[in-house]
Amino acid sequence: MTIREAAEALRARRVSAVELAAAANARISRLNSKLNAFITVTAEQAVEEARRADAELAAGRDRGPLHGIPVAVKDLFATRGVRTTCGSKVYAGFVPAIDAAVAERLRAAGAVMLGKLNMHEMAYGITSANPHYGPVRNPWNLDHSPGGSSGGSGAAVAAGMVYAAMGSDTGGSIRIPAAFCGVVGLKPTYGRVSRYGAMPLAYSLDHMGPLARSVRDAALVLNAIAGYDRRDPTSSRHPVVDFIPDDGCSIRRLRIGFPGSFYFDHLDPGVERAVRGVFARAQSLGAVVKPVRVPDVAALNAVGRVILLAEASAVAEPFLEHREEFGPDVLALLDQGRLVPATDYINAQRLRRKLSREFDQLWSEVDCLIAPTTPNTAPRTGDATVRLGGRDEDVRLAVTRLVRGINVLGLPALSIPCGLGASGLPIGVQIIGPAWDEALILRIGAALEDGGVGIPRCPAAEVL
Amino acid sequence: MKDWRAIAKASGIEVDNVEPLETLEAAFRPLVNGLTPDVEPATGLLLEEDGE
Repeated sequence: MTIREAAEALRARRVSAVELAAAANARISRLNSKLNAFITVTAEQAVEEARRADAELAAGRDRGPLHGIPVAVKDLFATRGVRTTCGSKVYAGFVPAIDAAVAERLRAAGAVMLGKLNMHEMAYGITSANPHYGPVRNPWNLDHSPGGSSGGSGAAVAAGMVYAAMGSDTGGSIRIPAAFCGVVGLKPTYGRVSRYGAMPLAYSLDHMGPLARSVRDAALVLNAIAGYDRRDPTSSRHPVVDFIPDDGCSIRRLRIGFPGSFYFDHLDPGVERAVRGVFARAQSLGAVVKPVRVPDVAALNAVGRVILLAEASAVAEPFLEHREEFGPDVLALLDQGRLVPATDYINAQRLRRKLSREFDQLWSEVDCLIAPTTPNTAPRTGDATVRLGGRDEDVRLAVTRLVRGINVLGLPALSIPCGLGASGLPIGVQIIGPAWDEALILRIGAALEDGGVGIPRCPAAEVL
Repeated sequence: MKDWRAIAKASGIEVDNVEPLETLEAAFRPLVNGLTPDVEPATGLLLEEDGE
């Protein structure tokens, strides 16, 4: 069931919020020992919240489509009275006195919080093989990574534990697990969703957004969490619109950019086939596919890595006296970041402005870009390299190479599932749009979804 | 090419593997060399300035 369907069932009294929460709790109890998607489950609190949601609905107070819907948040969003670890040992005992803006807004929309989701330590990695809370497993195949850093969010949504989950994306951390777990993931425009109360990885690259079972569900969540927040210094006053695509929405005559260079280099053949299939489907729905030459994405990636290394190490520096409390991969990155000179960081920010202006030119030629989210399907947990296009690549660099640059630009990007690879694992395709036009990329995603782009439901919930 | 090991040692930081820094340096340095003085840093990513 999608959020939309559950919301309809709630209002028709075919189901109650308490029953939805109980079903989610039961599924978490059954599956979490295998998937390790949750660090903390707030089962009793969820039933209590669901009871209140039912009482409000019965009294005629309807908070909207998320009212009574089970959701969960990545464990870097502060939750009042509930431990928030950021997947790390340094925050293992941290119980915030506040809710992050995102948690606050989800609660205000009536969502029922099921708990805190496992993640890559400090959100600094793409495997979610967490050394302190155990690795998250991919519900499509337990031997494979769910991606990360929001791996618990992807796994929980794919396995049907919750209807939607919140993640964060600094270099692909929403879109990668969405692609690897076969769900929808939305990275909104930088400034669209408040970062207040979300533990930072890199201030100028961090974006907060939903993972969900369908494009319209992701839009429903964005409706609830978007908007200005004075507590986040980079929050935008840009007008918030209704992001939910109309039923039967069209992409007729939309110009879809096909970035043949870079985004289609060194791909798994199954990924390339599936993504080319999306272009064919878009054309059959009336869109105009236009080959475009994108600015230097490899340069954007290099700029993003310099900014990330410097900002993440600045954030973590106070904790680095306790080196034994970090996993080896995160510690190595934090040490590398301490070696980045201030001049390189400033020059990276200068290049960011330059490349951003170059990229903006694209939007006069096309309305959006469509590209693979990742060049491969989910690697096996523990794999250090992946072989693509006849060469071995570091798995982290390979998995982030098609997503990282978009964080540097702050543009909105939506990943939707578009096929299964030879190994039976999901493939994701991303739709990238101009700043503030989440409504457009969601409309394109919904039209493609309505037009048959998608995959079968994850069998995990039935077979695990 | 920077000697990352020497820089790390001088900074009192342990770095086992300098290869990631070397490959990043190789990609990043030519970009910096192409910058002209008029390009100012995007110190905060405020998209309104260009997006509206």
